[in-house]
Amino acid sequence: MKSMHLELRNITKRFGNFTANNKISLTVEPGQIHCLLGENGAGKSTLMNVLFGLLEPDEGEILIDGEPVKFANSGEAVRRGIGMVHQHFMLVPVFSVAENVVLGFEPTKSFGRLDLEKASNDIRRVSKEFGLEVDPDAIIEELSVGIQQRVEILKALNHDAQLLILDEPTAVLTPQEIDSLLEIMRSLTAAGKSILFITHKLKEVQAIADVITIIRLGEVVGTALPSDPETVLASKMVGREVNLTVAKDEVAQGDTVLEIRNLIVHDDRGIPVVNNVSLDIHGGEILALAGVQGNGQTELVEAIAGIRRVESGTITLGGKDITNNSPRQILDAGLGHIPEDRQSNGLVLSMSVADNMVLNTPRRAPFAKRGTRNLKAVDENAQTLVKNFDVRTTSTQAPLSSLSGGNQQKVIVARELSRPIAALVASQPTRGLDVGSIEYVHKQIVNERNSGRGVLIVSSELDEVFALGDRIAVMHNGKITGIVPPSTSRSDVGLLMAGVTEGSNE
Amino acid sequence: MSISEITSTAVQSIKRPVGRSRAIGTLTLLLGAFTTLIFGLGANSASKSNITFNPTNLIGVIPPHVGDLSVPSKASCLLLGLCIVAIGLETLLRRPVKGLMVRFGGSAVLFVVGLLIWTVRTPGPAPFGSINMTAVLVGSSPLVMVLVFGALSGVMCERAGVVNIAIEGQFIGGAFFGSMIASTTHNFILAALMGALIGALLGLLLSFLSLRYLSDQIIVGVVIVTMLASLSSYLNVQVLSPYPQYNTGDLAPKLAIPLLAKIPILGPVFFNQNGFFYLMIILVGVISFALFKTRYGLHVRAVGEHPKAAETVGIDVIKIRYFNVIVGGAIAGIGGVAFVASYGQFQPGCTSGLGYIALAALIFGKWRPSGAVVASIIFGVSVYLANNLQTYNVPVRSAILQTFPYLITIGVVAGLIGRVRAPAADGQPYKRD
Amino acid sequence: MSNSTKASLWVRYTSKSPVFVTVFSVVLGLVVGALVIIATSPVILHSWSQIFSSWGGIFHALKVTLDNVGAAYRSIFTGSIVDPPQFWHALTTGKDWAVALTPISETLTYTAPLLIASIGVGIAFQAGMFNIGANGQAVMGGIVGTAAGSMLHLPTAVHVPLTLLAGILGGVIAGIIPGLLKAFTGAHEVIITLMLNYVIAFFLIYTLLSTALQQPGQQNDVSRYLDPTAQLSPLFGAHSGLRVNWGIIIAGLVVAFAWWFLERSTLGFDFRVTGANPKTAQASGINAKVVIVLVFLISGGLAGLAGVVQVSSTTHFLDGGFLVGSAGIGFTAITVSLLGRNNPIGIIWGSLLFAALNVGGRVMQASTTIPLDLATIIQSVIVLFVATPVLVKEIFRLRVEHAEAVQLSVKGWS
Repeated sequence: MKSMHLELRNITKRFGNFTANNKISLTVEPGQIHCLLGENGAGKSTLMNVLFGLLEPDEGEILIDGEPVKFANSGEAVRRGIGMVHQHFMLVPVFSVAENVVLGFEPTKSFGRLDLEKASNDIRRVSKEFGLEVDPDAIIEELSVGIQQRVEILKALNHDAQLLILDEPTAVLTPQEIDSLLEIMRSLTAAGKSILFITHKLKEVQAIADVITIIRLGEVVGTALPSDPETVLASKMVGREVNLTVAKDEVAQGDTVLEIRNLIVHDDRGIPVVNNVSLDIHGGEILALAGVQGNGQTELVEAIAGIRRVESGTITLGGKDITNNSPRQILDAGLGHIPEDRQSNGLVLSMSVADNMVLNTPRRAPFAKRGTRNLKAVDENAQTLVKNFDVRTTSTQAPLSSLSGGNQQKVIVARELSRPIAALVASQPTRGLDVGSIEYVHKQIVNERNSGRGVLIVSSELDEVFALGDRIAVMHNGKITGIVPPSTSRSDVGLLMAGVTEGSNE
Repeated sequence: MSISEITSTAVQSIKRPVGRSRAIGTLTLLLGAFTTLIFGLGANSASKSNITFNPTNLIGVIPPHVGDLSVPSKASCLLLGLCIVAIGLETLLRRPVKGLMVRFGGSAVLFVVGLLIWTVRTPGPAPFGSINMTAVLVGSSPLVMVLVFGALSGVMCERAGVVNIAIEGQFIGGAFFGSMIASTTHNFILAALMGALIGALLGLLLSFLSLRYLSDQIIVGVVIVTMLASLSSYLNVQVLSPYPQYNTGDLAPKLAIPLLAKIPILGPVFFNQNGFFYLMIILVGVISFALFKTRYGLHVRAVGEHPKAAETVGIDVIKIRYFNVIVGGAIAGIGGVAFVASYGQFQPGCTSGLGYIALAALIFGKWRPSGAVVASIIFGVSVYLANNLQTYNVPVRSAILQTFPYLITIGVVAGLIGRVRAPAADGQPYKRD
Repeated sequence: MSNSTKASLWVRYTSKSPVFVTVFSVVLGLVVGALVIIATSPVILHSWSQIFSSWGGIFHALKVTLDNVGAAYRSIFTGSIVDPPQFWHALTTGKDWAVALTPISETLTYTAPLLIASIGVGIAFQAGMFNIGANGQAVMGGIVGTAAGSMLHLPTAVHVPLTLLAGILGGVIAGIIPGLLKAFTGAHEVIITLMLNYVIAFFLIYTLLSTALQQPGQQNDVSRYLDPTAQLSPLFGAHSGLRVNWGIIIAGLVVAFAWWFLERSTLGFDFRVTGANPKTAQASGINAKVVIVLVFLISGGLAGLAGVVQVSSTTHFLDGGFLVGSAGIGFTAITVSLLGRNNPIGIIWGSLLFAALNVGGRVMQASTTIPLDLATIIQSVIVLFVATPVLVKEIFRLRVEHAEAVQLSVKGWS
């Protein structure tokens, strides 16, 4: 049986003045599942890109079976038996499964013709061996995310990988799909393959890891055992005691401020992805919408914000029907919106902090009068908000691109909360932020609730859902599968996320 | 940030999938109504139209004589018009998702046939009582050929993810230098090689600036066209005018293929052409095969769709893009030579935007060589008719007729974008991070 | 030590300021232009073929080269800015000022329409749209403006503004077509506007040959003449001999408008947000379709104004060659806008430079027989370099800032 012994020694990788990886060393034994645990931005993905030949390390070396290797590109890493399942799948959407699996290592007939038949047969053989059912002729973009991930794994196996890197593989999966992935991982190690499993989710680590290496701010801060309690792992990961809960006072619930009735929304391809959804968000409450990414949450929020057409159903904000109103009308009606992808949907990176602070209200007094902007008022507004919301920037006139991700998010939060709103919709409000910023943003959201606004939080992080939600709604496949109190157990919410409702056998 | 995103967010989110079929259906319906009312009802019911198929002005191989086809003008135009109306109604009522362009293209062909029948109705204003279909096809074929060269160049570049808007510039460069070589050596193989070299160099310039320095591909392409247009005009004054022996306007010889050239109608169109025409046909086959059947093609398409995925399996994205843009440039350069080899002397501005029409043909042909051929035929024939219909005393000014190919291009592009799918990474700079 | 500090200061200064990239690009453009002259000038080539035939051959060849290239560039300079002897003559004798000032007057005359059209292209670029149809829009402005200026007969105070408005209207008509098509079908504006340039070029021929706009009694493609009441009069009076006219004042007003519009107006803010990040623009309540249509309306209107200013100030009538080929103001406007990085102040310098190249190029064509097209070649080389700042920095060994944001971009088809 083939196998691989991998060692990383003192890997250092810098980008300009920023050190993403600092003298990282770790060893992966054959047949072992080695977990790399760390927060977003800790340098895990950089390290894996170095190992996979996508980046060249500034210092340090990689040893395979004791022999130092250098990869000029990832093709060489693949030839040495390293396979990688990327967080964002590296699959060509319009290609078939077979074409994707053999890409870069194609079997050919005469004249360089592709031998896709051989490829399909190889795929069937490998998928049988490891229990990964896939139709080799299916087109990738027509497959579900879970199946696409299998194709990624198959791709690595087909290139005869002995070591598999799984980069945050569970972010896009339902709890049940995660179980099946863990099963697949076990069968792979049973066949002698080793696995480097990158994640920031503690429960998965405890479920499957043989060895755990924790990295923080680009450095190895220690190793741990899967049997270590969660709080120990968490505090090592973030470097201090973390408070996973947010202090919340009881607040009396007010009237319904945001009412969604029988909403149907299509995605870009015209497929209904929000299917008859009804929700009520009351003043003084946080409704947390849980669910695996890609189950219609994005489209639901876009429909509320007016950037996606509502096919049928109604949305009412503060008693006013805003269904299919323009985004500006909806903003003016009092909707605060923290978008999912802040850089592409909420900010203009090339413009100044001050301009970004008035992006939604450039025409409102005192920022403009009869079509002419009052730049002084715009700047004064920014000065105040920068101070109140603790935005770290050199100047209010600095381009937004010069701010860190956390401070960019604070600019959005400041902008949305500083104008009079009736309800706040926040989509993945803390994705990619450091712990300090997360706590800050959570506190601001709770403040909004406390002052009587209705808040809808969309998050795929169960921790966040449980920490913030006064009620938890769960979305699966475009439908609300349940609305439960935060005292519900995680496994029950997990079942709802997988679409299992009482009395259904879906 | 890009313009495409405006359309993708704004238009997509509001547009409904049926909108496009409504637009195409309405357009078809209007076309049908026009054919019925103007051509059908506008013709005298006693008029007849003769369609002939015997090539004129052919030297050498002449296919056997074929009889003429005489049809009643009014009835035929009415029939054609009603057929187009029917297609339009069907599109509007059933709102099909697929086959829209086939319907539209078919309607366009019926329209052109109706137009020709109406034009040559006798008694009528036309000085000739018949239209020679074979002559129309033979006359259009050089235009079609040049467009195919351009569109193939576009296929090579855009399948790898680089927008080559400089096709027009490569045409001009190939035409100018190819004409010089052909005039001095009287050897069109050398001329083609020269054109390929010039086109490849321009492709190299485009890819160097856009791949290595991430300059905007469209801006660089447009500037390359401006540069070549002014350079050729400059050299025309400085070199070609004082030395007319460099611009003799020799035409490439017709190479009739034995036997096949004698097939009636098709023979003169397909088998009695110059070498560039056959080269074009071979290239269509080779590029189709290479792109869709070989390992190389799989790599190219992966690079054009998802360069990052290609890189993770060890494909050198930048190298493939360089290769394809340079080869694509060479093909467009040969297209420029083919132009002067079929039409004679080089004149500044002689390619008159064919490079841009080729780009539209590429989009219409869904980034496939075979589709590009079909689109090039439609555009080529319409350019030819726009330039030649005047001789039939059509009651439309020649300057207005000549706008039609460009208007058709606009219509097609406007009707099409969003329906057909460009390679996903088309036009986007790629940087290893 | 101090030496290296000095060097690094110089390097830092030059690499920080985009102006230096532009200046170096101009230098490179002139170098390429010189190479083109050398490669196509028989005298120079002959002198280089003789360098081994005599001892001083190489020096002779260098001298011939410098003389010829120098003569070409000198005539561009003296033809567009100032001819020092004439200027000295005017200065010392106080006479013939008109002769001394003619070059700069010609340059300013040419600058006016170019500057207006470039501002139009620049505003579109700032909103993320590539209006490559400025030339067609300018032609359309010329057609409608000429119709109003030649077929209506009114007093000057009414006729001039009306003619200009008609020109703007023409440009708006030509501009709004791609705007509507892009907004409502998503068609890429580059192909649409390119094709419209050809359509409008043929339409010009049609109006000159087949409509009432044709000069009565003419068989050729020539339009009626503009009434004197519709012409922009020379700034210093008709007898000054200087052609510089009210067009340059109008251009100045357009620049002022553009500066206010982009920097201070709320609509201009919408344009810039749309150009920088269309998705954010939409989410923040900007209606993308309205912006697209308005961008082409404004951009087309300005191009139309440029066209009518050209007619009203310079040609006074239209012919088949109006704005054709390298004389096409609308095409030069694209390069000017790129050169000026789409901001109004930069565009002023860009249009002065390119106007000078074109005006001086004509003088060069007359005095050295080198074709005017050289000016366009130089201009396109300059813009290629401006669009590739990193390359310029590498050539001149300036410090390259990593991951430099590409200044301008237009994107693919879908």
